Amino acid sequence: MQQILSVNNLSKQYGKIHALNNVSFNVPKGCVYGILGPNGSGKTTTLGIILDILKANTGNFLWFEDNPQNHKTKIGSLLETPNFYHYLSAVNNLKITQAISGRGNENDIDEVLEIVNLSQRKNSKFSTYSLGMKQRLAIAAALLGNPDVLVLDEPTNGLDPVGIAEIRELIKKLAQQGKTIIMASHLLDEVEKVCTHVAILKKGNLLVNGNVNEVLANEDIVEVNASDKQTLIQILNNMSGYTKLVEEKNAIQLFYPQGTAQLDTINEYCFNNGVTLNMLTQKKKSLEAKFFELTNN
Amino acid sequence: MFQLIKIEWLKIKRYPAFWWMFSIVALTYPGVNLIIGTIYNHTLVRNADKKEALSQIAKMLFGNPFEFPETWHTTAYFSSFFISIPAILVIMLISNEYTYKTHRQNIIDGWSRQQFITAKMMDIVIISLITTIIYTLVSLSLGIYFDDGHLARWAEQLQYIPLFFIQSFAQLSIAFLLGYLIKKAFIALGVFLFYSLIVENILVSYLKWKLQTHAYKFLPFEMSDELIPVPAFAGGFGKDMRDAYEAALSAIPMQLVYTLIFTSLIWVLCYKLQEKKDL
Repeated sequence: MQQILSVNNLSKQYGKIHALNNVSFNVPKGCVYGILGPNGSGKTTTLGIILDILKANTGNFLWFEDNPQNHKTKIGSLLETPNFYHYLSAVNNLKITQAISGRGNENDIDEVLEIVNLSQRKNSKFSTYSLGMKQRLAIAAALLGNPDVLVLDEPTNGLDPVGIAEIRELIKKLAQQGKTIIMASHLLDEVEKVCTHVAILKKGNLLVNGNVNEVLANEDIVEVNASDKQTLIQILNNMSGYTKLVEEKNAIQLFYPQGTAQLDTINEYCFNNGVTLNMLTQKKKSLEAKFFELTNN
Repeated sequence: MFQLIKIEWLKIKRYPAFWWMFSIVALTYPGVNLIIGTIYNHTLVRNADKKEALSQIAKMLFGNPFEFPETWHTTAYFSSFFISIPAILVIMLISNEYTYKTHRQNIIDGWSRQQFITAKMMDIVIISLITTIIYTLVSLSLGIYFDDGHLARWAEQLQYIPLFFIQSFAQLSIAFLLGYLIKKAFIALGVFLFYSLIVENILVSYLKWKLQTHAYKFLPFEMSDELIPVPAFAGGFGKDMRDAYEAALSAIPMQLVYTLIFTSLIWVLCYKLQEKKDL
């Protein structure tokens, strides 16, 4: 399968600070690739390097398995903040984007402004826009000319809940059309809902990367509870099969190796030992839990 | 190249400061030269009535400095005092890119890093051309307005038109470099004005009169200032002054070489920095 982007051993230092440390990953065609990490973990630095505005100290990257400069115009990007000429209107700003990138034509400008709901204000100066409108214009600029690849850094920054939902739908729709989307975010919920692949960064180190199901679902979690919690814990201590027992406030969590948890067996065991469960559910570990687990230690 | 100019024009044509600069230059060049020309004429005429020997000599030697062909030289000299007007625009154009972070966006959208600098260089070529065109029109008009029978000599000394262009381009390139390195418009502008109007004049005087060296000819602004020497009538009388004037004229080709080398170095530096640095 063609790799849209290959990143090989990228390192970047700002003085003594290692912003990126030997980071490598591949983005296959047609995936939604989420780059996650706490503030200052190197997400924007990574995107800045692959978009040629930051210089890596070591390492390299390829777009479409080729020299990046040959393919810049196939990539629609939104990096960090919406960057436009304040004294120009949305339409005139997008004319510049169109002329530089060669993506789309003048008719496409109205179309992308329609997609992000800015048509009504398309002739107002950028300086009069609210934060959310600026962000919408930046997304419009990235979408201009329907590029095959989108690089989006915190795409829902500054948007209201409706706007966030709209952008999420938009990203899903674009992914269905076969576009490759590379997205950095710290909004885990957002990433979990749309991404097919994730990479998690912490202090410039790549902790884990790959298919979202592989990264997340490496353990089964079963939550149980009974009115007599202490007795339940005692009998569960004698039960085998799980790897770890954690007592929570309203439940007891049992951790199983992936695919080995069997709820009916647990229920039967407890009932046979005189405890009636009032709660028995299997949970998939959320991205949030995984994220905290990886980034906290 | 044409595509780069087209895109820069999209940025500039709706930028109010551009039209302000254009209007101010279009008013200043004719205004200042007309005032100087008129004062010179009046002084000469009034003094001539008194039959003052000095003014008679002046008239004999120089005629009216705004007549053909001297107008090309004189107008260029006085107009070049106002390089800081287009310099403000040049600094604004580059610092705007930093303020709006469009210096990054342009690259993200598809320009190579070098294309960004080339586009900016084109801005400065265009601004220099505009000031040169205004200067040429003003010079031509004054030559006709003050004419006293020298119209036939209009085509002499036309070399001041390309010299004026090169001087503008060289000095605006310095303005660009300051804006490019300093990034903040007001600081860059402050440095530009303080250096070009005060520091360098002090240095020139010090090197020229105190140390009696020619090193002053290599100072960044003086280097290209010497492309358009002080006109004969403003220099004064006497053999020393005449000799100095002739020497200044014959030094123009060398100053041109220095200027071209220095200006090329500025742009090489900009390209090299742009290639290496984080934007």
